[in-house]
Amino acid sequence: MIPRPSSRRPDENFFIVAHDIKYVYEGGIEALKGVNLRIKSGDFIAIVGGNGSGKTTLAKNLIGLLRPTSGSVDVAGNRAEKMTVAELAHFVGYAFQNPDHQLFSGTVEEEVRFGPRNLGMPDAEVSKKADHAIALMGLQNLKSEQPLSLTLGLRRKVSIASVIAMDPQVIILDEPTTGLDAEEIADLMTSIRALNEEGHTLILITHDMRLVAQHAKRVIIMANGRILLDSDPPGAFSDLGLLRSSKLEPPPVTQLAHSLAEFGIPKDIATAEALVESIISARSGRP
Amino acid sequence: MRPLELRDVKFTYANSSRRALDGVSLDIEKGEFVTLLGANGSGKSTICMLSNGLIPHAVKGRLEGSAKVFGFEVSEHTVSEFATRVGIVFQEPESQLFCMSVEEEVAFGPENLAVPREEIRERVGWALELVGMKGYDDRSPFSLSGGEKQRVAIAAALSMRPEMLVLDEPAYALDPVGRIGLYRVLRELKERHGMTVLLAERDAEEASVFSDRVVLTKEGRVIDSGAPKEMLRDPDRLRSIGVLPPQLSEVASLLGKRLGRSDLNFTGMDEARRTIIELFSTRRTGGAR
Amino acid sequence: MTGFMDLYTEGNTFLHRTDPRVKILAVLFLSALALIIGSLEYLLALLAFILLLLALGRATLAKTFFALKLVLRVMVLIVILWPFFNPSGSPVLFEYGIIKITEPGIVSGITVAVRIACLASVWYILMFTTTQRDLLRALVKLGLRFDFGLTLAIALRFLPTFGAIVNSIKDAQRARGMEFDRGSLVKRSKNYVAVLVPTIVSALRTAETLSLALQSRAYGARKDRTYLRDLNMRPADYATLAFFSLLLILPVFAKYVLQVSI
Repeated sequence: MIPRPSSRRPDENFFIVAHDIKYVYEGGIEALKGVNLRIKSGDFIAIVGGNGSGKTTLAKNLIGLLRPTSGSVDVAGNRAEKMTVAELAHFVGYAFQNPDHQLFSGTVEEEVRFGPRNLGMPDAEVSKKADHAIALMGLQNLKSEQPLSLTLGLRRKVSIASVIAMDPQVIILDEPTTGLDAEEIADLMTSIRALNEEGHTLILITHDMRLVAQHAKRVIIMANGRILLDSDPPGAFSDLGLLRSSKLEPPPVTQLAHSLAEFGIPKDIATAEALVESIISARSGRP
Repeated sequence: MRPLELRDVKFTYANSSRRALDGVSLDIEKGEFVTLLGANGSGKSTICMLSNGLIPHAVKGRLEGSAKVFGFEVSEHTVSEFATRVGIVFQEPESQLFCMSVEEEVAFGPENLAVPREEIRERVGWALELVGMKGYDDRSPFSLSGGEKQRVAIAAALSMRPEMLVLDEPAYALDPVGRIGLYRVLRELKERHGMTVLLAERDAEEASVFSDRVVLTKEGRVIDSGAPKEMLRDPDRLRSIGVLPPQLSEVASLLGKRLGRSDLNFTGMDEARRTIIELFSTRRTGGAR
Repeated sequence: MTGFMDLYTEGNTFLHRTDPRVKILAVLFLSALALIIGSLEYLLALLAFILLLLALGRATLAKTFFALKLVLRVMVLIVILWPFFNPSGSPVLFEYGIIKITEPGIVSGITVAVRIACLASVWYILMFTTTQRDLLRALVKLGLRFDFGLTLAIALRFLPTFGAIVNSIKDAQRARGMEFDRGSLVKRSKNYVAVLVPTIVSALRTAETLSLALQSRAYGARKDRTYLRDLNMRPADYATLAFFSLLLILPVFAKYVLQVSI
């Protein structure tokens, strides 16, 4: 039974605040070199960077799986250091990249109910939240299936559902589209957008810039343990050099847009639709 | 002898009722770089595992039809016999490197084939150089990045001197830098060393740039096969088989729809730029088509 | 990151260069000696000799202490407790009720501790001067079937990998509210199912890919497999082997044939 810590929000707007956090791994590797971050409720953030940029380390610091070597994290107005991981789970959910590291139950339903039960919710609430999570991820017809026998895309959905069921305000998804084909990705992102529309804060950790271009409302670029850029999507795509030095591949449309800058094509283009729009208007705007 | 010749191949995995391959006919010619594009479960992995006899010898199931690798029927020869002709790389870097050092890993294959020691040493050096990992001999797998691990896996296959390299979603676990590095190595193998490359993928972005030929698969069947330019021009079609279209194809398709033109098609960055610049100039001169 | 069992320390000492087969045999001989010798004086002499070997291999005090921490604790425990359980002989040094401490009791306790020290340090010498690769190669050359050697090598190689996977699984479950350090023993055991199942599943998936990779690289294709790195006995190795053989044979001969009390 892990009671939900009371939520004190002196700074009404920001649900999570990271104050200059540094994290050093055993063996001396400095994974985070002073990160400041403020996350509002309802944000849809993508944290991007190559391997070793510190993005996963940062996410783990937000849920208490790792504790900052220096600096602090506030969640829902409380100091994160004062809460256990289980208590933090009331506020921040974390769906790991490999769903097989989480799934162990006999049925999808049991799996999804595991989290809320751990948090000590009464049975009626557990059922309600689990059913809602299952419905949101489109898993109603698979309730009594064995999670481990499902395809990767479905296993991912089950693991995400089991995190949603704990009804945290913030949901962190670590590389949720790895291994999924186009249809599975579209399907998953529809559910995730619905989550955001319901009011949850979404944090997507990824290195797929095309995904970011299509869905994120805010992009945080990390490299070498630091945040290099924290802006809305157009801002993130206008600097190719920054993307490349962060070991990220700018989407082909962005690269194309940059090479057509002299024709009046804006540099912050990140989707095919946007590029086509600007080509059409640049073309008709010509004397 | 063709590296791969499949005639009406049907295959069902042992614990499954669904046909993984439902009448596949496919030819791979020597020196080709072919990408199999399809959704999860489309049959592309199954085709990969047929290419060196893992199906039907190591992976159980019911195989029908003719599957010939370099002229030899897979069901009639052991996996070891194909090992000198076909090398295979799987998607998980971690699970296919089982030795404590890169040198041991790359030497393992030729050791099993009783290749003389001096020659093994030569092959190890040669293979590592081909994948850009010269000097990594004493490194342990733990000290390597995902991209480096996959390149070691390729080297470990190359040291057996195969004529065809088969890769099942090799870039799965890699970040963008790792992905591009891997594809560059493969392209070089084909261009400089005449290697036949067969690759299975879910994402068409690199296929458009690096492949000679693209094969589209869906639900155990080959839907179409041809040059990347033709196979990847219709993003809706690609999405309908669960494949992420290359972004430039999307641009070409959308642009074509808006301008009422069906001939717009580009696959490389340069071609895209040229075509679009041409569009700007035709507008300026007033002539539309 | 090195393997769990990897105590190997880089070096180019005489011990590092000795053929691993000779080292394995030498260690076996010295272990046998440690078990055969009965008197404390000779055991201490053996321990001194072994410590000399450690120095020869340039073992650092710090690393040795760290590796043998557990052994040292056991030794201290034995020295303290042994006399309580072996109250025979004279002279009696202390008596109170059923507690009786005799001098022979103390001496035999120390003897056992020293014996343990000899055994532990001699195996430590083997581990820190020989790479896993050479060790397994030696075992195979001494008669272990290649399959077994490979199985052992693969198991050792994957230990750290699975260590990391288990930690990742624990983290994932912690993020779902599971607590591993609280609750009754029964509850905690149940919690471990949530860790055990994903671990086993991961292991099975890895094993499956591994098996395909092994077969694809012609594992088992021929009985006369070659080896890139091979072991060759140098004259120095034969001399070392002879030396340690004598080191075992002479005391054995003295003790059992000549009935000398050792």
